[in-house]
Amino acid sequence: MATFSVNGKVVTAGRNQKLLRFLRDELELYSVKDGCSEGACGACTVLIDGEVCKACVPDTDSLEGRHIITVEGLSDWEEKVFTYAYGEAGAVQCGFCIPGMVLCTKALLDKNPDPNEEEIRYALRNNYCRCTGYIKIIAAVKLAAKIMREGVIPEDSETDWKLGSRVHRLDVDEKVLGTGKYPDDFVMEGMCYGSAVRSKYPRARVRSIDTSAARALPGVVAVVTAEDIPGENKIGHLKHDQYTLIPVGGLVHYLGDAVALVAAEDRETLEKAKKLVKVDYEVLPAVHNIQEAAAPDAPLVFDEETSNVQAYKHVHRGDAEGAIRKAPHVISHHFETPWTEHAFLEPECAVAFIDEDGDVMIRSTDQSSHTTLHECSLMLGTKKVKVENALVGGGFGGKEDMSVQHHAALLAYVTRRPVKVKLSRAESLLVHPKRHHFVMDFTMGCDNDGKILGVKAKVASDTGAFASLGGPVLERACTHAAGPYAYENFEIEGTAYYTNNPPAGAFRGFGVTQTCFATETLLNMMADEIGITPWEIRYRNAIRPWGVLPNGQIVDDSTGLVETLEAVKEDYEAALAAGKPVGIACAMKNAGVGVGIPDTGRVKLIIEDDEKLHIYTGASCIGQGLGTVLVQMVVTCTNLKREDIVYERSNTWIAPDSGDTSGSRQTLVTGEACCRACEKLMEDLKEGVALRDLTGREYYGEYLAKTDPLGANVPNPVSHVAYGYATQMCVLDPKTGKIDTIVAAHDVGKAVNPLSCEGQIEGGVVMSMGYALRERYPIDENCRPIDKYGSLGLFRAHEVPKIKAIVVDKPGLKVAHGAIGIGEITSIPTAPAITDAYFRLDGVRRYSLPISGTPYERKD
Amino acid sequence: MAVKKKFPYRAAFVGCNGGCRVTADSGCEYGCTGCGACVQACPFGAISINEIGVAQVKEETCIACGKCTRVCPKQLIRIHDCANYIVVACSNQEKGAAARKVCEVSCIGCGICEKTCTAGAIKVKDHCAVIDESICLSCGMCAVKCPRHAILDLRGIYTKRY
Repeated sequence: MATFSVNGKVVTAGRNQKLLRFLRDELELYSVKDGCSEGACGACTVLIDGEVCKACVPDTDSLEGRHIITVEGLSDWEEKVFTYAYGEAGAVQCGFCIPGMVLCTKALLDKNPDPNEEEIRYALRNNYCRCTGYIKIIAAVKLAAKIMREGVIPEDSETDWKLGSRVHRLDVDEKVLGTGKYPDDFVMEGMCYGSAVRSKYPRARVRSIDTSAARALPGVVAVVTAEDIPGENKIGHLKHDQYTLIPVGGLVHYLGDAVALVAAEDRETLEKAKKLVKVDYEVLPAVHNIQEAAAPDAPLVFDEETSNVQAYKHVHRGDAEGAIRKAPHVISHHFETPWTEHAFLEPECAVAFIDEDGDVMIRSTDQSSHTTLHECSLMLGTKKVKVENALVGGGFGGKEDMSVQHHAALLAYVTRRPVKVKLSRAESLLVHPKRHHFVMDFTMGCDNDGKILGVKAKVASDTGAFASLGGPVLERACTHAAGPYAYENFEIEGTAYYTNNPPAGAFRGFGVTQTCFATETLLNMMADEIGITPWEIRYRNAIRPWGVLPNGQIVDDSTGLVETLEAVKEDYEAALAAGKPVGIACAMKNAGVGVGIPDTGRVKLIIEDDEKLHIYTGASCIGQGLGTVLVQMVVTCTNLKREDIVYERSNTWIAPDSGDTSGSRQTLVTGEACCRACEKLMEDLKEGVALRDLTGREYYGEYLAKTDPLGANVPNPVSHVAYGYATQMCVLDPKTGKIDTIVAAHDVGKAVNPLSCEGQIEGGVVMSMGYALRERYPIDENCRPIDKYGSLGLFRAHEVPKIKAIVVDKPGLKVAHGAIGIGEITSIPTAPAITDAYFRLDGVRRYSLPISGTPYERKD
Repeated sequence: MAVKKKFPYRAAFVGCNGGCRVTADSGCEYGCTGCGACVQACPFGAISINEIGVAQVKEETCIACGKCTRVCPKQLIRIHDCANYIVVACSNQEKGAAARKVCEVSCIGCGICEKTCTAGAIKVKDHCAVIDESICLSCGMCAVKCPRHAILDLRGIYTKRY
């Protein structure tokens, strides 16, 4: 027992427990986020006697007489300063790390009212942020310090919410002050806790499951096995090969496969009960990698399949082989890229319960509430399911699949009680699909001027234990492997293999992060062989408006690759002139799903009793700022003011399905649907009509981003409705061998909110610095990921270089006011640009990521 | 003496917690004996012998010149980043049983810290825990879990100085 003060109030913790649990469970201070409970992430940061501490570390018994401050304990003045500064600087994205960052800010400024940049970076360095790349958080601290010193909060620099305005995001307040709710912040009357008993072996057959001892434990509410599933056991994003629970007699596919679910009154009983579930396995040899999966006598990962090939793609146009044969310059090489973990700050969590309509209601953190609805409905065998998104603490593609939602839904269905299922950080690292490991062989042929004549490639990916989006990722890797260049002869063959590793699926860049590394590295080698600069070879080959891409698509006026090259030119030449090692790479990335798949944005605008316009769409904001984008669209398309508009979180019963937050599609696809709904609204909202006169009315907008399927029998298929283009360059400091600056120029069509665009660029660049230089996801011989959250190699605030984000507006796209999504492309050209810069430094070509021989390399 | 320092600040740290109270017959071959060589060598008066007879550095005054590290006969003073306030305050390289005998707060190389560390920053080398400050996240989980109280939080939040 210990007595201490929390936010000025004296409290007593009776039972010894971690401070984090006491603050959340007993004092209901939900700004203190549980991101890992192992001391890594910093989301639970509090101040103890003015010092920054992670609340998951100390036991309450050790805190006698201490003074603890959480974000709820900030003064009114501090609340105002931090909210303004974080909003003005654009420092808030998913928001899960922000209360911790705010307390780091306070601790620093309380001691040092005028910190320099390095001091600020050090003050933030033990807290991870995966969205922002820290740049704008650092700016927010600087601004907060200035305001604190001057004692006056300035006006917002922009208040006009029209397109192109750098307004504060609409979710800044709730994220800075910690009042916004993520699923873990919901606590319901009679709620119990659920969790999965996962396989002990990566590949084994379940002989029997004995749940009797677990059921007999007092405090256990239910133990559920495959027999209890009322609908389909197998679900999945596209291919239904993800087992909700492995049945007796069934094959286990990886260590994350669930065999039973337990619900209990409290977390301690839950953990005890899980250990009491006895599963008898017939252990079988596992498939560890692509080579083993592809071997002729390989064990099969799935009983249902005849081989371990999950997907095969062959994309070709022209005669790549013939063009390469005739080319005067030909370079071939083998490339490899690693598994990568999304490492979003908020682990997966869902709360499910039976609502007043008798429906299973799921509050979740995912990339589409409607996808969760479809998969959970399939599994429960009923349409009586509802889903609502809470705040989403980062996704990056890693929250597209069912991880906890279906388990929470099943437990609520069986127990008829509210159930919370939350993954521990270790479970999260094991369970959700990762970025695919790729092995690639590429050959490029060029003429004497450096013009690409043809590219031929063969790639293979390890898609792990279930399909997830392995097929589409492979497809995107193949279609975009050609790069943003104008040439005619291209051929690529790709195969994705099932293994008993953790699954791989969507991750920012969606396969293009992998093949772009190969293509761009070859292009850099080719520039050297021809004797021109890497910038020049790209400028000569760049796709220009009305040119034809290697996939046959004729591109439109919005095509801005050349503009991004020109935007970095001055910095590039300055670095060359100064003798600094500089590397460069380009990329293209589709906005929208494309290749003939139905891709529809839907928005409903409803004027409710509060006489405001409410925006409903099934599109998830996973931190990127979709709500702000849609409000800016509405303000632009109507005569309404910001204060007339309310953005509603995605749900499945009012908000229409607007597809997954995937493929950089929401700004364009849902944005256009929103514009169309606005058009209808404006027909009624004529002069003399006020919004309140329309109370109760609904306005629906829909946009189908129509494209042609791969291999469509047309001369110039439209594979995607739009592409974003980018050039990134990396300048090294030759003395330290570290990165001095990354310049990232991105063509976004029309920047809806340039501040948010910069935030996406900075965050994407820093994420891919990790991919290029340090991040790993090693898997041991038992197919178990070895690393913990803190050892993944994520970049920290004091290690991030200068990042110059250049937003290039290029009109031409006829929909969504010309706005093209930027979410993924920010992470694509970074790795090859960095890799080339290191070659310029030390003359060593590197063909596999993360690259070796840099000061960032992990030694162990 | 006020000394201007360059950020990020570095300072000397004495890798001994003084659990044996520096008695001549304690038998610890690795700990501080309170000889005062470092105190003599420090040009800035940043080191003193504390109440239990162990050398202690005042970080605000130390400029990490390293003179003390060179004169220490036990070689247990090292330079560290002040921002890394979680430190191993023991340099005993004997096996667990022997280390346990000579001091009540010695590192016995049990490895609990290594298993606990999320960052993979702490490793037992020669029966004594060593923190790689370049990757340590200063969370203090190792300090809280250390059964020997050999790992300290220099801010005095998670642990008190022995």
